[in-house]
Amino acid sequence: MATQQRTPVRASRALLVGAAVASLGLLAGCAGTGTGEINPEYGFATVEQIADSPITIWVDATRQPAVEAFQAAHPEIEIDLVVDDGSAGASGTFQTKIALADQAGDGWPDVVFSSQANDASWASQPNAGQQAFAAPLNQGFLDDDFLDGFTAGALEPATVDGTVYGLRNDLAPVLFWYNAALFAEFGYEVPTTWEEYEALGEMLAAEHPGYFLGSIGDSFVGPYVYYWAGEAPIFTVDGDSFGSDLSDPNSVKVTTMLDNMVANGTLIQDSLFSAEFVTQSDKLLAIPGAAWYSGALFQNPDNVGAEPGEWGAAAPLVWEDGAEVTGNIGGGMWYASSHSANLDAVKTFMQFIVSDEETAGTGGLPAYDSAAAAWLSGQAESGFFAGDFEGAMSTAAATVWTGWGFPNFSPETAYAKVIVPGLAEGKTIAELSADWEQEMKNEAQTVGYTIG
Amino acid sequence: MVSLNANNRTRQLARAGRLRPITPSVFLGRALAAAVVVFFSLFFIVPIAWLLIAPSKDGRQLLLENPFSVGTLDQFAANWESLMTYQNGLVWTWLGNSAFYATAALVITLVISIPAGYALALTEFRGRHLLLVTTLVVMLIPNTALVLPVFLELSAVRLIGSPLAVILPFSFFPFGVYLTYIYFSTTISRDLLDAARIDGASELRVFGQVALPLATPVVALVGFFSFTGNWTNYFLPFVTVPGRAAPIQVGIAELLANVPQFNPTSAASTTIDLPVLALATLLSVAPVLIVFLFSQRFLVTGMTAGGTKG
Amino acid sequence: MGTIFSSGYTIFLLAFGVGPAVYALFLAFTKNGAFVGFDNFVRVFADYRFLPAVGHVALFVVVWLACLIVFVVLLALIVHAIRIRWLSTTSRFLFYIPGALAGASSVLLWLFVLDPAVSPVSFILEAFGKESFVQVVQTDTLHIVLAIIAFWTGAGGWIVIMYGALNNISDEVMEAARIDGAGPINTAWHIQIPLLRKWISYMAILSLAAGTQLFVEPRVLAQASKGVVTQDYSLNQLAFLYAFRQNDFNGSAAISLVLLVVALGLSVFFVFRGGLFERE
Repeated sequence: MATQQRTPVRASRALLVGAAVASLGLLAGCAGTGTGEINPEYGFATVEQIADSPITIWVDATRQPAVEAFQAAHPEIEIDLVVDDGSAGASGTFQTKIALADQAGDGWPDVVFSSQANDASWASQPNAGQQAFAAPLNQGFLDDDFLDGFTAGALEPATVDGTVYGLRNDLAPVLFWYNAALFAEFGYEVPTTWEEYEALGEMLAAEHPGYFLGSIGDSFVGPYVYYWAGEAPIFTVDGDSFGSDLSDPNSVKVTTMLDNMVANGTLIQDSLFSAEFVTQSDKLLAIPGAAWYSGALFQNPDNVGAEPGEWGAAAPLVWEDGAEVTGNIGGGMWYASSHSANLDAVKTFMQFIVSDEETAGTGGLPAYDSAAAAWLSGQAESGFFAGDFEGAMSTAAATVWTGWGFPNFSPETAYAKVIVPGLAEGKTIAELSADWEQEMKNEAQTVGYTIG
Repeated sequence: MVSLNANNRTRQLARAGRLRPITPSVFLGRALAAAVVVFFSLFFIVPIAWLLIAPSKDGRQLLLENPFSVGTLDQFAANWESLMTYQNGLVWTWLGNSAFYATAALVITLVISIPAGYALALTEFRGRHLLLVTTLVVMLIPNTALVLPVFLELSAVRLIGSPLAVILPFSFFPFGVYLTYIYFSTTISRDLLDAARIDGASELRVFGQVALPLATPVVALVGFFSFTGNWTNYFLPFVTVPGRAAPIQVGIAELLANVPQFNPTSAASTTIDLPVLALATLLSVAPVLIVFLFSQRFLVTGMTAGGTKG
Repeated sequence: MGTIFSSGYTIFLLAFGVGPAVYALFLAFTKNGAFVGFDNFVRVFADYRFLPAVGHVALFVVVWLACLIVFVVLLALIVHAIRIRWLSTTSRFLFYIPGALAGASSVLLWLFVLDPAVSPVSFILEAFGKESFVQVVQTDTLHIVLAIIAFWTGAGGWIVIMYGALNNISDEVMEAARIDGAGPINTAWHIQIPLLRKWISYMAILSLAAGTQLFVEPRVLAQASKGVVTQDYSLNQLAFLYAFRQNDFNGSAAISLVLLVVALGLSVFFVFRGGLFERE
């Protein structure tokens, strides 16, 4: 309730309503309020700070243990933990709930985790007369020394006009995961290019039907794993202009590969976290996927649940004639609220959650260099993954294709709307591409982009 | 429409005495009717029967075994434990919120709706017709369409997040007023009230001692619809009482986010299994189900009881 | 005296019925407080999501209302004709129980029923060629699924109300019909259904109003299907997106107002046909 700088406005709004419900219309005129004075120490207008007040943190279930680790390490800070869906699948939970709080002028959390990479585009803007939800982090709130500890480019998705609005939870570059034991058994070579991957699919379908090389039933897999890594310009942003070209040669190459592999059964359509996928995961030979698949799939007994040494990671697949680039699946972001009444505690939390060596990364590759080094050497020491795990991770992390855009909407919704049901109906992506491209462009226009 | 006291017993006796002879076409008709009733009974009851046994299984059994196989009590206990420990018993908080909101709104609804319905049906006052028409019109307005404006209104008076932000809008129940109005106007004659007035009863007494006792069915009906409707409302509390103040309906939808089947990022150990979600669903409607069971006799006769010609 | 009796309700009516409606009206025709005519409507109508949403809701309402009117009346008549008392009572109660699972709970239960992996009626889903949840919730047939869910939840209440109304038909009338030699079908068609008209139109109006405000079902399905059911499936979802995703309350109010006008227009028709205002 510490809304000092808006008190006069509040009072007038309350009075109005008290006066007459019928004159409700007048409220709209009062809704647009200015922001308060910029606090030079932080670079944004702060509310009155209340020492030791509890902080509210919104996370998804995956991040919950990390928050609990923080509570154990900092018992002096009182935390009110709220678990939501982390805006998975571009559900928009974060934006919607903040919009509600903006309207109410109350009820903001202090820290939010989002699995999406593009929230800064709206969270950095004022809304409904309230100052932007996301606190600028590099204008005094967090030290430059600390921020410099992030892997180069890791904060890019949350940076708007040079101002950093979010801290990266983990790097999520796409690399190539493979079942080393099965490869040895079948006598196959681990592919290094997309062409070899597709050829492997054909061979596998002929020689070992039932075995497979991945799934495209999740809305994050298609766009991020295959199109992004395949350098397909289906989701690009240039200033206020959005572009999507599914007839670009690279896009067509990806589409053709996916359609062929769906047709021969080496790409399935079950979500990675569905029971159907889990029950047939012993037939999974290899899968291109993000760094966080390590914890979410292979080291998760409720999913693939690999034996130590069974699975390995290899460098990302590339086109034979293409650049050495890869894709990226999220690698969520932590945002601090500019409305927080206990910024000291928020600061402690933000720094801990991304850089603590035990906690950072939440099962994936931490975005903070020192934590990443510790995680990688820990994984190497345990010997859980076969192959050059550290090398593959480092290569992947350094080669994420920068042509992909971060507009104010996600490619996942259009994929889920057009491609997932279309595939289930037996159509090919080639047949659906025009609709898919149009859907993405429609979404872009709705949120104010021009189509380039 | 004049309504008579439906005396089931006499009617049944009367009918029993005049049974038609059973011809093939009558038999066929009855068989067809029976088939329809059986089909719809199954349609209505099978999902609930399934829901009742699902929490006694574990996730694997749910997926692989016969849908109607019964699990074990131990597994039920394990699922229960898992739901109760979820975020330190957040489910109880949600249930408590629901109970508080629905009950408070129920009381206010009855206090304002029954007299209003009575006044509309059996008294004359300035603006009666206007109020009646407005009630009908507002009743027909999709209440969801008003959720956003109601939200802004509440936000302006800084009630968002407060229990009042649900209770007050919940208490506005034009359907209840209209139901009461219909009931009073079709089952109580003005003559009856006038007779009481001639006997010297005050307006308040006429209402309290003549009309109200006859209105028990409609009071129960309005209370029932108000309670169940508010308990199961999702949209309004979803926007007006976010976070920990949310009722169970909003809560279980949030729970869905932690079921790995329905959310790709929930790969952690703190997830909710399908049987636990089934249990949560069951628990979320348990109070309403109990109300149903207890009011069973009353519900199935519905509007029939009572009348002016005792 | 009537004024006093109705005063509490009148205050609530103004605060939570008329007030918000007037406010929606105001918002729909303004932008930042300035009158802009039909601009908000033009913007909303031109939105590529608007017409599909209208189509979805319209299809849903048509299927649902048809189911309600036909099956509710049919079941009420049959149950009313059952002479074995416990059987009649039990069947009414069975029909009614699903009403306890409205809102998000019913959608959650139906998530299970609609997922062939766990469904108790997976054989029926498979008979329709639906082998995965994604196939079950395909957009082009989703309105039927939603209508079935809505019918399942709400029909029982109406069956009981119709049953009660049937009981209110005087014995003399029924006897007269019987003496005239009318069979059960003739009696139903010429006597009972005409006398039920008021209630049938009442059911239709309320259901129509409820149907156009479709929100929680597609919303929860959107979450559960990870976006295969889109977040802009119904008009109310679109209004919600306008308000909380695009921060465009004016556009949101415009959609609400459209819903309002359509529902009112149709309901006036029903009011005349159903004689709901008989007493006035």
